[in-house]
Parts: sequence; C-alpha cells; structure tokens
Amino acid sequence: MRAAEILARDGPNVLSPPKETPEIIKFLKQMIGGFSSLLWAGAVLCFIAYLIEFSKDKSASLDNLYLGGVLIVVVILTGMFAYYQEAKSTNIIASFTKMIPRNALVIRNGEKYEIPAEHLVLGDIVEIKGGDQIPADIRILTSQGCKVDNSSLTGESEPQFRSCEVTHENPLESKNIGFYSTTCLEGTATGMVINTGDRTVIGRIASLASSVGHEKTPIAIEIEHFVHIVAGVAVSIGIVFFIIAICMKYRVLDAVIFLIGIILANVPEGLVAAVTVSLSLTAKRMAKKNCLVKNLEAVETLGSTSIICSDKTGTLTQNRMTVAHLWFDNEIYQADTSENQKDQIFDQSSATWTSLSKIVMLCNRAEFKSGQESVPIMKKIVMGDASEAALLKFSEVVMGDVIERRKKNRKVVEIPFNSVNKFQLSIHETDDPNDKRFLLVMKGAPERILEKCSTIMINGQEQPLDESSVKAFQDAYMELGGLGERVLGFCHLYLPEDEFPDNYSFDVESMNFPTSDLCFVGLISLIDPPRSTVPDAVIKCRSAGIKVIMVTGDHPITAKAIARSVGIISANSETVEDIAKRLKIPVEKVNKREAKAAVVSGMELKEMSPEQLDELLANHTEIVFARTSPQQKLVIVEGCQRQNAIVAVTGDGVNDSPALKKADIGIAMGCAGSDAAKIAADMVLLDDNFSSIVTGIEEGRLIFDNLKKIIAFTLTKNIAELIPFLIFIIAGVPLPIGTIAILFIDLGTDIIPSIALAYEKAESDIMNRKPRHKKKDRLVNHQLALYSYLQIGILQSVGGFFAYFTVYTVQGFKPDLLLYLRPLWENDSLNDLEDSYGQEWTKYQRQYLEWTGYTAYFVAVMVQQIADVIIRKTRINSVFQQGLFRNKYIWVGIASQIIIAVILSSGFGSIPVLNFTTLRIQYWFVAVPYAIVIWLYDEFRKLLVRHYPGSWWDKTMYY
Amino acid sequence: MARGKAKEEGSWKKFIWNSEKKEFLGRTGGSWFKILLFYLIFYGCLAGIFIGTIQVMLLTISEFQPKYQDRVAPPGLTQVPQIQKTEISFRPSDPPSFSAYVVSLNRFLEKYTEGAQKDDLEFEDCGDVPSDYKERGDYNNEQGKKRVCRFRREWLGNCSGILDETFGYSSGKPCIIIKLNRVLGFKPKPPKNDSLEKDLMMRYNPYVLPVHCTGKREDDKDKVGIVEYFGLGGYSGFPLQYYPYYGKLLQPKYLQPLLAVQFTNLTTDTEVRIECKAYGENIGYSEKDRFQGRFDVKFEIKSS
Repeated sequence: MRAAEILARDGPNVLSPPKETPEIIKFLKQMIGGFSSLLWAGAVLCFIAYLIEFSKDKSASLDNLYLGGVLIVVVILTGMFAYYQEAKSTNIIASFTKMIPRNALVIRNGEKYEIPAEHLVLGDIVEIKGGDQIPADIRILTSQGCKVDNSSLTGESEPQFRSCEVTHENPLESKNIGFYSTTCLEGTATGMVINTGDRTVIGRIASLASSVGHEKTPIAIEIEHFVHIVAGVAVSIGIVFFIIAICMKYRVLDAVIFLIGIILANVPEGLVAAVTVSLSLTAKRMAKKNCLVKNLEAVETLGSTSIICSDKTGTLTQNRMTVAHLWFDNEIYQADTSENQKDQIFDQSSATWTSLSKIVMLCNRAEFKSGQESVPIMKKIVMGDASEAALLKFSEVVMGDVIERRKKNRKVVEIPFNSVNKFQLSIHETDDPNDKRFLLVMKGAPERILEKCSTIMINGQEQPLDESSVKAFQDAYMELGGLGERVLGFCHLYLPEDEFPDNYSFDVESMNFPTSDLCFVGLISLIDPPRSTVPDAVIKCRSAGIKVIMVTGDHPITAKAIARSVGIISANSETVEDIAKRLKIPVEKVNKREAKAAVVSGMELKEMSPEQLDELLANHTEIVFARTSPQQKLVIVEGCQRQNAIVAVTGDGVNDSPALKKADIGIAMGCAGSDAAKIAADMVLLDDNFSSIVTGIEEGRLIFDNLKKIIAFTLTKNIAELIPFLIFIIAGVPLPIGTIAILFIDLGTDIIPSIALAYEKAESDIMNRKPRHKKKDRLVNHQLALYSYLQIGILQSVGGFFAYFTVYTVQGFKPDLLLYLRPLWENDSLNDLEDSYGQEWTKYQRQYLEWTGYTAYFVAVMVQQIADVIIRKTRINSVFQQGLFRNKYIWVGIASQIIIAVILSSGFGSIPVLNFTTLRIQYWFVAVPYAIVIWLYDEFRKLLVRHYPGSWWDKTMYY
Repeated sequence: MARGKAKEEGSWKKFIWNSEKKEFLGRTGGSWFKILLFYLIFYGCLAGIFIGTIQVMLLTISEFQPKYQDRVAPPGLTQVPQIQKTEISFRPSDPPSFSAYVVSLNRFLEKYTEGAQKDDLEFEDCGDVPSDYKERGDYNNEQGKKRVCRFRREWLGNCSGILDETFGYSSGKPCIIIKLNRVLGFKPKPPKNDSLEKDLMMRYNPYVLPVHCTGKREDDKDKVGIVEYFGLGGYSGFPLQYYPYYGKLLQPKYLQPLLAVQFTNLTTDTEVRIECKAYGENIGYSEKDRFQGRFDVKFEIKSS
C-alpha cells in the first residue's frame, strides 16, 4: 500500500526518455520543410488564379482549383510518407530498448516478490546476486562477496567490492552504494533503495547528456544545400519569366499560371521520398550487418566519417581475458587468441607442459555454470574472475573435461588469492592410484612465485634455479609485461609421502605445509585479445583515409600493445618514447614531428591546452588515449571536430553519453552498452564489433554516391519539364506538357527507378579514397547540376519537343504553323482554326490534340528517363563495366515506368483533369533515337573522363 | 572522389568578381571561353540533331494529306459572326451595337462575291441543285491544282448582304451563316430518309446534309419564332457536290458551302438560346465539344 503511494508520488523507476518533439510538430515540420514550401506557394497561387478567374466569370474552368488541390495532396502525402519513414526507424530503436525486461527481487512485508524494476520505490529492500543489474541506487545492507562493475559509470574496469561500511563521504566513492544500471558480478547483497528513476546518479548524468547540443547531420546540410539550389533556380526562373510574360503583354493571370508551371516543373516532388526510401533501405541493410541506425540521416554521416574514436574493451577486443603466451622450458610460446582458440599450436610434448597444465587446471577456483553441456566452450558462462575463467577455458580447450580431471585430483585444501599474499595455492591428491603423494600447486604474481622457488623445471627435469635461469625468467617476464599482458607464475611441489601421509590434516591457518623451495614451472600471460576481424577493419579504415583513435581507460602499456596488434599503431611507426629509447636520448630532445604515433594518458590530456590537443591531433596519425575518464572523451571529440573532421565515437557507459551526443555520429554498443548510451547514440552496434563500424562506413559512402546518382537522375527531367513552359511563353506554341503530367512524371514514373539506383553497387573500391570533405565534396556540385540541367536535361527536352511536334504534324499542324499560334489556339470562341492542310478545328478538338501532345511529351520524357536511369548507374565507369543486369531493381524500375505510362495512356488517364489521351503505338518510340543519343553521349563522357583524368573534361564533366 | 573544383567560401561580391584570381562568377576568362565554346558546340550539335530528326519526320508526312484525322473529324459546325461566348446581343435601332457582326459577316463573305470567283481555271460551276460528291482524283498534284465549285453569294438571299447590308440586324431579324468545318477528304453522309424528324423530312434531299436550328431548351422553342434558311437550291443544308475537300495546297480557293439562317420573329428583350445541328450518318456530337456537328448561340434583341 505504502509502496503504491510512493510510486504515485515519485513516478516509476525508469529514466525518463529525452524530451521528444511532439509528434504533431514533427509531422508539420515534414509538411513545410524543403520543397514543400514551394509547393504550398504553388497551391496558393493556383487558388488565387482560380479566384481571379472566378470573380470575372462564374463559369471559370476548375483546372486551377483542381491543380491547387492536387498540389496540397502531394505535399501532404509526401510529408506523411517522410514522417512515416522517420517514425518507423525511431520505432526500431524503441522496441530494441524494450527488449530487455527487468525484474527485481524485492522484500515487502517480509515476503519476497519479483516485480518489474520500474515499480520499485524508495525504501524497498532488494536482493541482488551475481549477474543481476542493480535495479535502482541502493545502500548495501548485507553483502556476501558482492562485486560490482561500475565501468559504465566511473570508467573503472576492475570489479569493485561492495560492503555495508561507509568508506567515503562522496557516495560515488563509497563502497556501500550500488548504482542503478551497474551490474553485480558475483556474490549476493541486499540493499535499500535510496534513489529511483531520474533521481539516480545515472539518471542525473543522462539528463545532462540530453542538454549537449546535437549538430545537424552532414546529409541534412547537403540536402538543404541542394534544396536551396533548386529553389533558387525555380524562383529566379519563375520571376524572370513572370516579368517576361508581363512584358509580352500576357494577362497577369496567365503570368501567374506560368509561374505555377515553372515552379512545379522545377521542384523534384518525388525526390525527398526517394531519398528517404534509399536511406531507410540502406539502414535496413546496415541493420543486417549489425549496425542499427536510429536516425536515417546517420547512415550517410557514417560514410563521411573521418575520425573514429573507439573504445578498446569489447569493441576492439573480445572483452574477455584469454591466454596469450606461455613460457616454459626457457621459451615463449604463443597461444591462439582468436575467438574460438581452436588452433593451439605450441609444443605440448614437453613434460614441463604436462606439469604446467596440471597446475593451471587444478589451481583454479573458476567453474562452468551448470547446464551448458551443448554450449561451445568459449561461449560457456564461467563463475569466477576473468583471469581464472580464461585459464579454465584454456585448459578445457587444450586438455578437455577439466571438471572430471579435477574430480580425479581431489582438492584437499586451498588458499584463495588475496592481495596480501598475491598467490593462490591448493593441495590435491594425484590421479595416479600408485602415487600417494600430495601435489601442491601455486600460482600468482611471477616475482612472488619465483621467491618461493629453489628449482625450475626444464624439459620435465628439476634443475636448480641458478642465475642464468633467473635471468631467463626476468627477460620473459619483461617481454610479456611489455606486451601489456597480465603475467602469472606457476609452480608446484610433490609433498614427500613420508612427511605427508594420506591422512595428514592440512591446516590453512597455520600453513603446516611447505610454501618455499618449490619448483618453478612456467609463466602464462593473459590479455583481452583483439577481435580477429579488427586488424583488417583498421587497415580498411586506413586505406579509406579514416583515422582510428583508441580511447581507453586501460593502462598505456596494455593500450599500446593492443593498438599495435590491431594496427592502430602500425608496425613501423614509433611514439616519441620509442624514438627516445632507440636513440637513447631524453624524451624532450626527440623531434616530435618524427613520431607518427602517440600514446597519451589521461593525466597528460588533463594538462593539455586545447591548442596543444589540436596540435597533437593534427600531427600524429596514430593516437592512443589511455587511462582516460569518459569525461575526457568529450574533450577528445571536440578536439577532433575542431580539425573539421566528422567524428564517430563509440561508447557504452552512461557517462559516454555526452560524447556520443556531441560526436557527429555516436555509436553505442548493443550488448555492453547502457540504455543511456543507446539513447544518446545515433547508431547501435548490435555485435559491439569495431569491424561492423567499417562495414557501416562502406554502406554510408555507397549511399552518398548513390544519392548523387538519384539526384542527377531526378534533376535531369526537371529541365525537360521546365523548357516547355519557357518555349510556350516565348514562342507561343500550344503548351507541350501540362502540370498534371509533370506530377505524374515526378511522382509516378520516376519514383521506382530513382529508388532502384540506391541498390547500385560501388563503381570502384570506395574504401580506397579519402573521406569526403564536409565543405568541398558536396552532394550536389556544379558539375552535377550543369551536366544534368544543361546537357542531358536539354537533350531530353529536345527529344520531348520532337515527339510533341511529331504528334501535331501527323494530325495536321506542322511545326512552323505552331509558332505564335497560341492566341488563336487558346481562343475559346474560335472554333474553325485552320491547320497546315486547311482543315478547321474546333476549340475542343485542339484541346484534345493538346492533351495528345502532353501525352506524347510525357511518354518521350519517360522513354528518355529510361536511358537516363541506365546512364546514371555509373558516374565514371562504362555501364557495361558495371554490368547492365547486375542491379535487377533498375529493371523493375524501368518496367514500372513503362507500365505507369501505359496505364495512364490507355484509358485511366482520360478521366477528367488528368488529361492523358491514347497514343498510337508508333509514337511511343519517337524519342528512342534521343534516348540512344543520351546513352551514347554519356558513355562518351565517361570514356573521356576515364582516359584523361585531371583534364578540363574531367573537371567539368565528372560529377 | 572529390575532383570537382570547390567553391571558395566568400562573399557574393567576391564570387561575382574575384580580382585576385581574375575570376568572374568563379571562372576566369579562359575558363569561361572554354565552357561557352563547349556549350556552343554542344547545342550546335543538338540543334543539328533536332532539325535533322524534324526533317526526317516531315519526309514521312504527305504534303497533301494529313496522316491522321481522328482528332479533327467528325467536323465542327460553326457560325459567322463569331463572337465571344457565342452571344449575339444588339439593339436594332442602334447600328453601332451590331456593326461588329455586320463587319464580321461581310469580311467572311468577301470570298463568296462574284468577283472573287471569276477565274475559270480554279472555279467551276457545279449546278444550282444539290448533287452527288465530286471526286477529283488522288490527293496529289500530278494533275495540278484541283478546281473548286463556285458558291454564289446570292444564294444566301436575305442574308447575302446584297439586299440588306445589315444582314437583317437593323430590322431585328438577324442572320447568321453556318458552315461545316473543312476536313480534308471528308464526305458528309446525309441521314437516311426515315430517321429524320418531321419538319426536316419536308425539305429532304438525298444530296443535302440537313441543318436545323431550333430553341435549345423547351422554353426557348416558343421564343424562336420563324426561322428562314437560305442555301443552294433553297435547301437548309450543305449540298454534297462541294465535297470532298482536297486541302489548302490543291484547292487554295476552296469555298465551303454555306447556309444562312435568319430569325425573323425572335422574342425581344429576352435571352433566346438557339441550337443549330447538322444531321448525318458521319456527323457526331460530343458532350465535351459543343461545336461538333452542332452549336448553340444566344440572341438578345433589345427593343428599346
């Protein structure tokens, strides 16, 4: 009862989602953004034109009214479509975060209940155990070996003990507080809820994150740029011809109608929809490759990324300790650290290995969780700390059935690891029934282990530990430590049977057994190894001109070692420290410009001024930031952005979220990531794998190229739609194409082919070029605009006019007669207009012929757009190099063009207002020669561009 | 692959004329020259292709006969004078109120004056009674120009403008002249004798395409009064010997047969809507085209 009251007072125990723009505002934004405002203007002009006509004559034709209505419908439909697409992609992520239901074990009225975590209230007593996520901020009341992972909050990757003592005044530092959304790794605890929902520590950070401003995405900027170009062209041509029309003594009303036509012809109504669909198709494709994109525009942002700031743990590495090297018989062996560890190729024949493997197996408290028989070894869940788990899995892989073997070597007594002893010890019976001796096995910090040894095992033989073997040990230890690996020493001793008979009672407290003069067996080093796909991905990034910066909380040595092994620091580049060591000079004397690589610790970063950071980022190509706090990530991101770079940042912790927000593209980890990070991010990596980012980048670059093609394709026919109006005004011919037919091209025949271009494969290796420059490599550059508008567009118009003149000629109006015929042609009371043969036409007969002209022009544009979509498949390669049939969707698109045109021309289009007529079959082919010319001309263009790179032609004609 | 020249960031002024680089609108003189030359050549070629294809297309078209006539036939029926909204409104006592109609009629009938039809090489008499179609061979100029039938203005009687120069407008008995739109090679087929209404039957002739004018709506019909028709042989229609038409090239002086209609007893001071309709087997009417095979005209004679 009380709980319900508090729940009502405090609200549910969830982080409130970031403030959403109300749906209606989002919807309205789609309605007025971009071209919509131009279309609104067109619609308003239509209504004004109708009202003017209506005021003069009550029986005015309703065409303008209809057109205005159609325009509004178009705006609303495209707006709704864009809104729907946007909402759909937002929903993906929403459903994603909801996938993980959380329950909490709560004690109320002395009884345990399992309730959804969001129903927790202040003062509830909750129980947590290893593996649970802490459901709210709690004060620990009791604890049995409870360890938590606070890394998402504080960045400390080491598990932290939780107990019920207050150890610090600052709750963040105190050991008796468990934080919401951190996980309990092992042990159990009970605690009292002290904060819920947004009032938790995490909640406060999350609300901070949402206050960090988000920059406009590059593609949004590009599309805005493009809309400005088109709108500028539309409005200026519209106004120029409005003035011309007035000067030519057209009625103002007519001039307004021309203005509408010009605006309509200029605006690519279908483009926004095509772009949205293309982006969401790519988003879908990326989701299949484990990149879940929350914001559609982020698809392209990823493609223009020039710097990736990546976490180490979990993203570059497998996020589990793994045996990397072994040292025995005075030799270092390498273990397989790949994801399945199948290829353990080191020498396993030595007797030393037999002993070592026994120690590894026995001196280990970790166990597989039960009930995982069918799970592959590497995927099994292990109870125990990371190093022990690594050793357990390692021995399971190498020897098999560790549990059975452990049973055979029954454990008599053990001393667990502690930070004072720095070793772990256990005494076992042997599995040899004839051997009644006890076996003492020990592992721990190598120097501590060595202290306790007097002999060393070489090739199965115990030898005295002389200076040379100590030296060998030191070298091996140094070397492995230098690789950033955690090194453990192993030793053993067979207790003599006479002193320790099988009924001997060992006592841990008094240590009534020897712990010195043991036999040293070997070293094993552990590391969180890189994911096997990462080095390739890093190489790809490098060839793609993308700088990869590692940001980690780990120790610089470990960070550097991993950076080297994945190629973030390439094999032949050195840091300032490396050079100093090689040249044996002090670090200060090294010329910093010589060092390509840099490893910077969080402490150093703290003391840097922004200018120094800029210099660091600008002058080093390979940078590792170690020992950094998540807050410093934000500093690094801002530094990168000052370099004019487009920055992708990975993060999983809650306090990564400001950096994720600030970055051009924030990438949250799907598995390890906290909800706050996922909310702040633009993209979620479902498999936490760095190489997925690189595949994402590839897709992003591809879509940028393909968007260029889509826009080039779409813009072309805008000229073919515009020129008729201009010729109509200037040369006074009957109108070649009506506004409705234009809308049917823009929103009918052209839609599917333009979307199909999104499926086009890359022309060359897109990962071999530099990331695009934000300001220089525009989506729509002047080459694209000029080539589409002034060349192919004009060609198309000419083809359209050819078809138009043809249908007029075959019916009796030869081209020369049509010039300046408009005043007579459109005269409603002239019902006996003479054609070239002396035949007399009524107004409606002429009108019908005009519609036939519209249809012919429409079909001609459609036919030439088929050629256009084919040439737009490539920008530099020949279409034949690209493969004419590789992208099947193009052919679906072409089929759709033809089918829509046939439907319109055969009956359906003859319904009033649409004004399509049937066209004799042969006039469908009038524009085919022009389509062929378009194709040939573009092949010619590409040929010259390919053969004369850097030439005037290349610079002018390559878009 | 960024190979495009990037636009320099800068003010508009600098963009229009960059004195450092000697650039006008972002291009140097040489660059402008090259680009303009390119477009000159490009558009030159394009114009060539366009003119070429138009020429080829025209080659496939006969000079004498349009390829298709499905848009122009069945023909329209039109009247003279042609006025905005086909509304004839005038005051008999006030000549300026109908002078426009008179001018229009006179101008139209100029071709039909005797003086204009003198040349025997171009004109021939086709009789003053209706007769069958006059075929004049193929549609080409192998036999030179085709002759055309004379149509005498006098046949239009009261509406010829000879007797009454105001075509009856001054006396409140307005004339209009009706013609069937010229369609090359079109041979109007008169309707079968028995398919006609009674009052049309009376003036039936197998070689005449009958035309009849009456009130458009029921209440108009009483206001129309007496309608007088003046045409060849006194028939209210178009005699067939004037068909077919051989086109502007072969029959430049072709005179289509006319029918004058005079409304001698129109109710004054009210709008009277009159519909004139041609009847024939290949004459069609359309809801959308109010001038196909028929038309309507509104009269308003103001008495004072």
